[in-house]
Amino acid sequence: MRLSPYIAYAKKCFLGRSAYRFDHIMDIISTCMQFFIFCEIYKALYGGSSEIDGITMPMITTNFVLAMGLNAVFYPDDYFLPNKIWDGSIATELLRPISFKGRMIAENLGNALFSLIFHFLPVLIIAVLTVGVSAPASAVMFLLFLLSAALGFGVLWAISFAVQMTAFWLINIWSLITIKNVFVNVLSGSMIPLWFMPEWMRGVLDFTPFSSIYFTPVQIYLGQLSYGEIALKCAVQLVWIAVIYLVGDILWKKGQQKLVVQGG
Amino acid sequence: MINFENVSKYALNNVSIHIPKGEIVGLIGASGAGKTTMIKLSCGLLAPESGRVYTLDKNPVLNRKLYKNNISTFIAGVPLLCHDDTVSQGFELIRNMYGIEKTEFHKRYEKLSEQLDFGKYESQSVKNLSLGQRMRAELGAALIYEPKLLLLDEPNVGLDENGKSVLCEILTERCKNGMTVLMTSHDMSGVSKMCGRIALLDGGKLVFYGSEDNLRSRYAPIDVMRVKICGNIPDFEDLPLKKYFVQGDILTLSYNSNHITSAEILKLILRQTSVSEVSIRKPSLESIISQLKKGGYYELY
Repeated sequence: MRLSPYIAYAKKCFLGRSAYRFDHIMDIISTCMQFFIFCEIYKALYGGSSEIDGITMPMITTNFVLAMGLNAVFYPDDYFLPNKIWDGSIATELLRPISFKGRMIAENLGNALFSLIFHFLPVLIIAVLTVGVSAPASAVMFLLFLLSAALGFGVLWAISFAVQMTAFWLINIWSLITIKNVFVNVLSGSMIPLWFMPEWMRGVLDFTPFSSIYFTPVQIYLGQLSYGEIALKCAVQLVWIAVIYLVGDILWKKGQQKLVVQGG
Repeated sequence: MINFENVSKYALNNVSIHIPKGEIVGLIGASGAGKTTMIKLSCGLLAPESGRVYTLDKNPVLNRKLYKNNISTFIAGVPLLCHDDTVSQGFELIRNMYGIEKTEFHKRYEKLSEQLDFGKYESQSVKNLSLGQRMRAELGAALIYEPKLLLLDEPNVGLDENGKSVLCEILTERCKNGMTVLMTSHDMSGVSKMCGRIALLDGGKLVFYGSEDNLRSRYAPIDVMRVKICGNIPDFEDLPLKKYFVQGDILTLSYNSNHITSAEILKLILRQTSVSEVSIRKPSLESIISQLKKGGYYELY
């Protein structure tokens, strides 16, 4: 498999994003505003106490800046396939000599790289300068955080991939995508740090893919997990990627079959 | 190149057809007759309900990957070039995708962009182009990787006269080098100009498949001859003419060209009188098709 067409697509996506500068600056501002509002709410909730249940305010802010930052980076285009089914261009895509899934990943990675550099980093810098963000627990933990964050992206991508594939049957999946995003935002800790979820809820969440998207990397970053736990959590991430991807892939194959039998 | 064996799908009903290598085959018929379905069946975008389709001796649905470099499919309204890209970016992406060597690609691009005349707006993005401009660029995109088989669904939409004749030239030239084309079109003069064979679909059935001359002699053999005579009005009693009438010195004759040739008629006229002008009109493909649709020419046979 030649990589150069995929790199070309990734590059195209990366450069495409830089064309809409105003929108992009607004994105950064919106993330910062969200971040500040959440920090203020928690400051008020803490009401001057230095910690609640062993969770300190800097941990909260660090959780928010990492989760929201990653949320900005992890933004797979949920409408990649639905749009192509909608306008019929899925036909030409299938007749191209490159893998459609490969192209999808390439475009999402191009997007993610752009967001990492021009969205996450500015937000991080602003957060460090204003509210303050804890340093990573150690250099090793930071590297493990990066690894786990990459795996988290994999989980999120797989979810988006699987949800998109339903467009072969449902055509308009706006509502499904919205529900997915609500689940991701609420259950993955980017709105409410999962520390504050009731014990039973956290137990349940451990069995869903959502907590492994943002919360696992954040915990690693803060040094809350032992090496054994990190290995386990990363393995859980890998399992989720594999399982959800496989489900998506089955839908993908069935979807193509449906396209060939019933037409697009 | 393409073989349909008793294929049924949507409107198509038990269609069998063989499209030989190096031929330009024009698929014509009213909207909804199943033309696009045939194109999609040929490239494997659709699977037949019953019967079999072979493209390059293989089942196109199962071997889609294999074909990707051999078949180029162009369906009007389904973009080949990305909307956000400029024309040249779009082509670069195609070069990359098909792994064509740079200098070779450049050579082809130069030629196509000159022929189809899209070079002058290559730095504009595709979404800003007019329909005709976009069609020219997209046709270039379909042709640039030199496929063995080209499937075109209404390639003439939005093209001006010059564009149509250029497309005709390119396809004719390519087919001499072994490319095969299956195209649908509503532009009968274009079909008549370039297609060696015509496949006529009506109500999902293949009602005719063969050359245009063949079609004419079968469904519309009536030619019309107008002769300006100087002198006596000749006598035609023996000839199998459909009808004739005289208006001043102009004689209008219609006859079945399967039964008598124009040369024979002319010879007879010249034996009796002298002639200053002759014109012979054969029915155009367009009028044959529209007559066929009405059922007009069927009554001849």
